[in-house]
Amino acid sequence: MTTGPLEGVTDSGGTVGKLAVHADGPVIQTQALTKRYRSDVTALDGLTVSVAPGITGLIGANGAGKSTLIKILLGLLEPTTGRAMVFGIDCGRHGEQIRTLIGYMPEHDCLPPDVTATEFVTHMGRMSGLPATSAKERAAESLRHVGLHEERYRLVGTYSTGMKQRVKLAQALVGDPRLLLLDEPTNGLDPAGRSEMLDLISRIGTEFGISIVVASHLLGEIERICDHIVAIEAGRLLRADTITSFTGASRMLRVEVDEGIQALEDELARRGLSPRRQQRSILVPLVGDATFDAIRDALADLRAPLSRLELSRHSVEELFRESAGAQAPGQPDLVTTEVPDVR
Amino acid sequence: MSADSAMTDGAPRARGVIHDRGYRRYEGPRLGRVQIVRALMWHSFRSALGIGRGPKAKILPVIAFVVMCLPAFVNAFAVARGAPRIVTYQSYLFPLRVIVLTIFAAVQGPELVSRDLRSKVLPLYFSRPMRRGDYPLAKYLAFAGACLLLVELPLVLLYLGTIASSHSNAIWPNTRGLLGGLAIGLLWAVVVSAIGLALASLSPRRAYATGVVAIYFFLTLTLAQIIRQIAQQGPAPFPPPQTIPAGARLASLISPFTTVESITQWFAGQPKRFQPAGPVPDPGSYLPAYILMAVVLLAAGFAILAVRYRKAGATS
Ligand SMILES: Nc1ncnc2c1ncn2[C@@H]1O[C@H](COP(=O)(O)OP(=O)(O)OP(=O)(O)O)[C@@H](O)[C@H]1O
Ligand SMILES: [Mg+2]
Repeated sequence: MTTGPLEGVTDSGGTVGKLAVHADGPVIQTQALTKRYRSDVTALDGLTVSVAPGITGLIGANGAGKSTLIKILLGLLEPTTGRAMVFGIDCGRHGEQIRTLIGYMPEHDCLPPDVTATEFVTHMGRMSGLPATSAKERAAESLRHVGLHEERYRLVGTYSTGMKQRVKLAQALVGDPRLLLLDEPTNGLDPAGRSEMLDLISRIGTEFGISIVVASHLLGEIERICDHIVAIEAGRLLRADTITSFTGASRMLRVEVDEGIQALEDELARRGLSPRRQQRSILVPLVGDATFDAIRDALADLRAPLSRLELSRHSVEELFRESAGAQAPGQPDLVTTEVPDVR
Repeated sequence: MSADSAMTDGAPRARGVIHDRGYRRYEGPRLGRVQIVRALMWHSFRSALGIGRGPKAKILPVIAFVVMCLPAFVNAFAVARGAPRIVTYQSYLFPLRVIVLTIFAAVQGPELVSRDLRSKVLPLYFSRPMRRGDYPLAKYLAFAGACLLLVELPLVLLYLGTIASSHSNAIWPNTRGLLGGLAIGLLWAVVVSAIGLALASLSPRRAYATGVVAIYFFLTLTLAQIIRQIAQQGPAPFPPPQTIPAGARLASLISPFTTVESITQWFAGQPKRFQPAGPVPDPGSYLPAYILMAVVLLAAGFAILAVRYRKAGATS
């Protein structure tokens, strides 16, 4: 691996200011990262995670601590304990240097309505440290990359939500960052808009060679563009893995029968499927076609009246249940008490 | 990374190699924090003067400058026709200065800070290579600069006009007067912009911010004048300084304008103590209280800005 991606960003290739930028290591590392807000809310709770280059999905329900983690990585929030590093540089101590390497797209609206997109992105480029002419050029380019070339001289206030999200992305991109932190970039978009935004992010990640962290509360939504997934719940790491092992392990079949659910569960277990009851349905990890066959046979044997068989959308809550079952067998009711029944 | 993109590229893909898909890496120089702050300062200075924004944004700054400079022209014209210079370098025209500065601070202060608060753009600034205090610092320097220009440009015009239209022996006294006036003008700009910008930053709603600034400046000025008149039992003309009661000498502490003007009067009033000049009485031995007040106003402005932007950055 080369340190190529860092030349140009840096003064002498591989440094920013006096700090060495570690390009080949993990993009992000946190060690026992804990953040408590004043009102004794624990937003992050001993989070230790490492993020490799590529596109990473940061998954968590509302209030899981995604935005808090992003702000700590930007050096905008002090961790209560523990530490976070981006490209091997400590975020708490060298926030200013870190921020020359990061582009940030906040989750909420952050655009002034009464300037044109070009003016705004140019100004933000200057704030990223670009000289005036470069800022102008790169603003035009960034807006072209996000597909706003035609409309760039219109006032931002006249834009649709989808266009505003693109301007937010363009301003994150204008300073040529090595890492993009995108906090719920599909917020407020309709399905078509979401899909376009995700395609755009995917292109930036694969073709522009910029590492990306995308925060979202739906794994199902962003999984198709991610190389890795980091799932957090209540500020704790749920799981960090590559996308393949993630979706592979978490794809579930949901089986519902009108009666004899207990018998079916036993029968499925006997066939080696490790079923799990969830209220009035049974969840079975989908391994392959054999899983379907086994379920069909079990139903046939029991003459159980099937009322529903579907591929379950693996929600974060289910992942949490899995890991709560696996890692903390002593506290199974963590699930029902702490996780609200979202969706 | 997908396999098909490698094929369409026609080149082997490897991390770290820049692929020409339209995206160009930025290889040029990057400005440091100080230069970024300077860029923000310049940008804000221009918008305080209505430059680089729509035509509507220019209306108020243009009116402010025209109104403020008008007496300088009129006076120069009068001097050319043999009349004495009536507008002073130290106070210029106190009531005019107060009105124009109040309106300028109440409208252009929110222009600099409330807009950004309203549109919640601050996280974008804070995610850039600058420190927490850099944003309010740049905004303050920009606003102080704009106020300075508004206060001092008329003085320079007054000077040039007077010089051009009078005898050469007027140059030295006029230059001395101008230098003193410029120094006092700096004090005006520094104090008024600090407290004005701090008050403007309290509300993201521009109308509220304007209201808060205008009310504060007008109310304190009115109070200062009323209390002074009550203390000396009656409106000006002023009695000789020795007979001015302490209450009347201290009343001017209430308003930033009269605070600064009192300091001016102390310096200007020394040689000609018995001339009833100036809109506020000479503070006499209370001068330290006025200097302290100017420092307190400045410090309060900075403290409010610092606290305001520490909070704004952490929570949004
Ligand atoms: N400034 C703050 N003061 C106090 N508590 C806060 C603050 N910011 C966040 N929190 C709390 O910290 C927890 C994590 O918040 P955070 O915004 O990081 O979650 P999130 O994963 O981004 O959620 P969402 O999907 O809603 O954006 C929440 O319980 C939230 O209420
Ligand atoms: Mg969030």
